[in-house]
Amino acid sequence: MTDAGVGEREGAGVPVAKDAAGGPRWRLCGSDGGARGVGEVHHIGLVAALVLLAVVGLVTEPDNFATSGNIVGILALAATIGVITVGQTFVIIGGGIDLSVGAVMALASVWATTVATQSYGPGVMALCAVLVGTGAGVLSGLLISYGRLVPFIATLAMLVAARGLAQRMSDRRTQLVRPENDAIEKLSTTKVLGLPLVVYIFAAVAVAGWVLLNRTTFGRRTFAVGGNPEAARLAGIDVRRHTLLLYALSGFCCGIAAIIIMARTTTGSSTHGDLYELDAIAAVIIGGTLLTGGRGTVAGSILGVLVFTLITNLFILNGLQTSDQLIAKGVIIVIAVLLQRRGLRSPT
Amino acid sequence: MRNSSPRPSRRGVLFGGAVIAAGTVAAACTSNDEKDTSPVAQTGAAGGDNDKPGKQVTIGFSAPAADHGWIAAIAKNAQAQAKKYSDVTFRSVEPTNDINQQISAVESLISAKVGALVLLPNDGEQLNQVARKAMDAGIPVVNLDRVFPDKLSYRTWIGGDNYGMGVSAGHYVGKRLKQKGVSNPVIVEVQGIATLPLTQERSKGFADALKSYGYTVTAKQDAKFTVETGNQVASNLLQAHKKIDALWNHDDDQGVGVLAAIKQSGRKEFFMVGGAGSANAMREIKAGGGVLEATVTYPPTMAASAVRLARLIAQGKGMADLVELQVPQSVTLASETVTKDNVDRYMPLGFES
Amino acid sequence: MGPSEPSPLLRMRGIVKRFPGVRALDGVDLDVQAGEVHCLLGQNGAGKSTLIKVLAGAHQPDAGEIAIGGEPVRFAGPTAAMRAGVATIYQELDLVDGLSVAENIFLGHEKATLGFTRRGDAERAARELLGRLGHGEIPPRREAGRLPAAGKQVVSMARALSHDARIIVMDEPSAALAHDEVANLFRIIRELTAAGVAVVYISHRLEEIREIGDRVTVLKDGRTVAVGLPASTPTDDIVALMTGRDVEYVFPERPEAGDGPEVLRVEGLALPGAFEDVSFSVRAGEIVGLAGLVGSGRSEILETVYGARRPARGRVLVDGRPVRPGDTGAAVRHGMGMAPEERKSQALLMNETVAGNVTVAGMRRYAAFGWLNRRRELADVRRQIAALDIRPPDPRRPVATLSGGNQQKVVLARWLLDDADLRVLILDEPTRGVDVGARAELYAVIRELAGRGIAVLLVSSEVPEVLGLADRVLVVREGRVVHSGDARALDEGAVLNMIMEGSAL
Repeated sequence: MTDAGVGEREGAGVPVAKDAAGGPRWRLCGSDGGARGVGEVHHIGLVAALVLLAVVGLVTEPDNFATSGNIVGILALAATIGVITVGQTFVIIGGGIDLSVGAVMALASVWATTVATQSYGPGVMALCAVLVGTGAGVLSGLLISYGRLVPFIATLAMLVAARGLAQRMSDRRTQLVRPENDAIEKLSTTKVLGLPLVVYIFAAVAVAGWVLLNRTTFGRRTFAVGGNPEAARLAGIDVRRHTLLLYALSGFCCGIAAIIIMARTTTGSSTHGDLYELDAIAAVIIGGTLLTGGRGTVAGSILGVLVFTLITNLFILNGLQTSDQLIAKGVIIVIAVLLQRRGLRSPT
Repeated sequence: MRNSSPRPSRRGVLFGGAVIAAGTVAAACTSNDEKDTSPVAQTGAAGGDNDKPGKQVTIGFSAPAADHGWIAAIAKNAQAQAKKYSDVTFRSVEPTNDINQQISAVESLISAKVGALVLLPNDGEQLNQVARKAMDAGIPVVNLDRVFPDKLSYRTWIGGDNYGMGVSAGHYVGKRLKQKGVSNPVIVEVQGIATLPLTQERSKGFADALKSYGYTVTAKQDAKFTVETGNQVASNLLQAHKKIDALWNHDDDQGVGVLAAIKQSGRKEFFMVGGAGSANAMREIKAGGGVLEATVTYPPTMAASAVRLARLIAQGKGMADLVELQVPQSVTLASETVTKDNVDRYMPLGFES
Repeated sequence: MGPSEPSPLLRMRGIVKRFPGVRALDGVDLDVQAGEVHCLLGQNGAGKSTLIKVLAGAHQPDAGEIAIGGEPVRFAGPTAAMRAGVATIYQELDLVDGLSVAENIFLGHEKATLGFTRRGDAERAARELLGRLGHGEIPPRREAGRLPAAGKQVVSMARALSHDARIIVMDEPSAALAHDEVANLFRIIRELTAAGVAVVYISHRLEEIREIGDRVTVLKDGRTVAVGLPASTPTDDIVALMTGRDVEYVFPERPEAGDGPEVLRVEGLALPGAFEDVSFSVRAGEIVGLAGLVGSGRSEILETVYGARRPARGRVLVDGRPVRPGDTGAAVRHGMGMAPEERKSQALLMNETVAGNVTVAGMRRYAAFGWLNRRRELADVRRQIAALDIRPPDPRRPVATLSGGNQQKVVLARWLLDDADLRVLILDEPTRGVDVGARAELYAVIRELAGRGIAVLLVSSEVPEVLGLADRVLVVREGRVVHSGDARALDEGAVLNMIMEGSAL
């Protein structure tokens, strides 16, 4: 470091008196009043986007948009990708990326719906989905943390391999959940307080994710590992083991998502979750998480998922085609990231 | 009751037997543990002299990779049909969804000097050139389903009728609604991949047939031939339309997702027509009580027929029931309407999605 | 020469640490008593940073023994060192920007129950620690990335305190601090030592050491040259220890003072915050060296001359023609070449071969319509390999496998491909990471280049290097050239006094 004046390089903070011999004591910071806790990144932009989309919905489809049925429908649709996005948020904050999420979910759904698995009943099917997802995550994590593979490569390989294995296991056919295992389907059809159970699963994963990220040592270390791995290592954190756990967590979320997709479609299929990785990464990014790691929130990612689901819903309500949705999504990603960067430049 | 079947079965030629035979084989080897009700009686029923062993021929086969029940059934049916002939050697190349790979796969079949080629291209336009190359090398090409733009590129085309599929669905929906006496019905369409010409043809046939009853399509939305997208699109469409009278879903594979979405919404006020004719859809129709009342076929058994045609062409034989000495240049299969009344006949043709 | 006191708290013996191509530590001894401030002195590259990383468990030594409280220890990683009571405040601030102050302080040993963090406890404890350090006004919830450098330093220190360490290592803690902050730092250090904590203190500022230190250990070239001297040892003696050399550098002989034409001229160059009003010139065949501390502005001067930074005032001329400021492309067109300080990150393509690295800037010479003439390229590279004696002499060898000295030669070779065009060669720390033995060779190469009529501008942290190699020396302190004169008229002590004077208290 230099012996140049303090505070020169750092834009933030209170201006610091330089060489004020005999002057007042140095103050490196303003009062606590203006400080806000870490992680409480402002989501005003996203909330505004949601409100804007809701207004568009109310204006264009006043009869269909604001119905409880439609809102519940949106939440149920968001459940699958939402659960996956929670896991993806951890991986990205931890400085990695998981491209395999969609494929791992497909593999878990296929594995859980094979003739053999189905013969053990719905409980084993759900357990199987979670175990397969977590197992795939552990494998990716091992390749990355101990095999020293770049996350992009390792999870790309997992994407291709999991998709292939899913096709092989299912013989490329759609596997129906058999009638005697309709407990799986009931997750989607049974409603408690007007909401199907899958929405509660989604909510539970989101809340658990928030607690894990913000209230546990695991969460704190995730920020450290992603933000400054060397500092984390010097602080005595086992960076490799932590990285492994992050991918296992992402795989675990894929397993949960597989249960939800089985409930919603009554099938397991190798075609499930196509391009989910891109949707999940996009939701995480517009949610304010840095792609380089070290900063991000679960709440932002969930809002990101909801924005995307809402767009799809609005377009279909208005009878517009998929191609227009894709354009709208692209525009939103760019705008969100631009806003985010401005937000970073002018901290309040 | 509902005596549907808007168009009499036009399937004049000897395919009946062949198609059903292949379907049986396919069903036998695909349905892994569902009770298989199909009788085996039709096998080789219309065989005639043509089924007697003739000159040894090698038939090359190339199709897209199966990411869909229909395509999977295509490959299986072709293979199963070929196995039935002692005089046919079947050479199938690795299925792929990559245009370049399919081109080089076909090239390898050409250089292996096969006797005839059965080609289901990923894209007719882009594989036209290599098919032409085969024809120029003296290898007859049987073009399956997705047509090559250049007639010099194939000896015979055999495929389904996408427009006719829409027409069949349209007639079924139109007749049913007329019977019910519905005016201004809400008719919803769940399409397949929007950019494919076949999707556009299906939608056009549907709209044209409905027009003859004075009806129009209220809303249509494209899914991607997968269960998940079918589920997603149907969930949203159901929200968009509080009351629906009829729904046509282009594809029975994605239909599993569509049906799940309908079930989850608890809606029952409309009826639904499927497309392609999967075994699943047929079982659903047979069971009754659900929204799915009918499906219009687009039978993957055409692959078995294509192999038979390729064999006949290579052996220089004609089709037994035709007067002509050679196989026709083009064969279009009719899209038939499967309802509860005739589902037992069609069950063996249904493919497992 | 070791101390006679019984059983020091920390005892290191014969520590050896090798990195590819360099022997960073070559048998270092250290003894630290409980309750003392033990200063570690040495020039840049003497091995101080490596030594403390070994002590912190971040590096595992290749040989040697460490004992704490008489017990031999072997640190598998940073956690083991912390558990043994060693806490380290690194020179590069090792905080996680995205985490709060409190979270940074307790990172790796969070206050938690069953994995759930107790934020209230952590923040209270953080506030107490910060208060003890005299900075109660730093909010524990503030994001660490939003603190000024001095604030981060305080947080780093709070982190060390949070470990209840018996030994606290401080690597240039005052570097980021201004005047009265340093006084506060010393107050804290005294409190710590009064409580029996041992502090290992590293600084360049001899005055500081005299004020706070109890004893001094001097490192040089990866070896201990003095263990446990009293801090009152006269400056001259310490400087002599720091500079005296086991390996005599062999500097090439200087030619008679040349009277070549002036090639590079710098007039009134200024970059606010880094340096002010810098003027000098370099003649063809002349080597001019800049001497100064890290942070004195010497590297910034080089970078501005080369166009990597845009000056606020002043201009740079080559052969009398002004060079467009802030434009490295213009600098290269005028015949300037630069070998930057961070060889691995700024100059070399580590995955490439020697040949690829040499020709990367001059690729056009071997290309016709986009096709590379590989044979001509290799021939030229072979010529440079021979001229600079790059070993092993294989153009296809990955540059990462070469030693530091040979890597530096590869960088030089790049600029010499077109030697007719090269007018000015700028070298920032040319011998950084180069083995002592290999340096003489590099010096000879640099001198030979000057002999071809190239003007050479050189920065080195090692005063003897500047004195031995350069014809003329500019001494830079706090962004100003405080002395300019013939290298032969200066000695190391004089230069060290000039560059350190005033930067102490």
